[in-house]
Amino acid sequence: MFLPLIGLAVSVILASIGFYGIFNTKNIIRLLLSSEVVLNASILAVFSLTFFSGNTYSSFLLSVFGIGMALTEVVVAFAAIILYYRVKNSLEVA
Amino acid sequence: MSPISEIQIVLFLLFSAFSISSALIIVNTKSLLYAAFSLVFLGMSTAAAIALLDPEAFAFYSVFHVLLYVGATVTFLVISLVIFKNLELTGEGSRWAIPLTAIFGSLAVIAVLYVGLTEYRGTFEPVQLSLGQVSYILVQQYWFPSLILVVALAATLIEAVTLARRD
Repeated sequence: MFLPLIGLAVSVILASIGFYGIFNTKNIIRLLLSSEVVLNASILAVFSLTFFSGNTYSSFLLSVFGIGMALTEVVVAFAAIILYYRVKNSLEVA
Repeated sequence: MSPISEIQIVLFLLFSAFSISSALIIVNTKSLLYAAFSLVFLGMSTAAAIALLDPEAFAFYSVFHVLLYVGATVTFLVISLVIFKNLELTGEGSRWAIPLTAIFGSLAVIAVLYVGLTEYRGTFEPVQLSLGQVSYILVQQYWFPSLILVVALAATLIEAVTLARRD
């Protein structure tokens, strides 16, 4: 039980860093990048928790769907950011 | 589950430290382009850490993570960032961000370690993934999420083409 426990601890640390990045900036792209840190942390947590639940296929499929939706989210968010930049000529959130 | 070797533990700790330092660079560096490049290293080190948890069971997902997440998502981010000028950061966020994150992060780590070391009793072993079984489960049980994912990825493709036209 050594590695999964460390994996969970690392994922919690990564999520904390990601949330720090989210709360500590007003830049939209930095918000997006920080949310990606949280996504990586959550995927690592899912695979670490597999050792506690024993269901490998569910964690695999959950992570695959998560990665696919993350790809969609990044592209949609970036389109919105580009529109925001064209209108406001800035990347800062009010 | 294959027996955990010492080199596996050392590599896992190394990649964990690497992913934490990459995450710190992402949230602290002034240049957003460097932050996006650090996201590449974060994705790769996370994939390596996942594979090292149990190489027999998770190696396939690790390759998937590198190919789809690092190869598509992060590369899209990096290339898209090039179109912006003056990417240096100016604004600052909440001044409570550091103490709040430090307190809640430390509490969460302590809680995870406490629960894991004291309450956990059984040991589950992840099974080795079979592609046939994965496709069967996808078609039989998860067909609706798969459909949503396909539609979303198709919309993403159209959106990327629209962005590339620049009009």
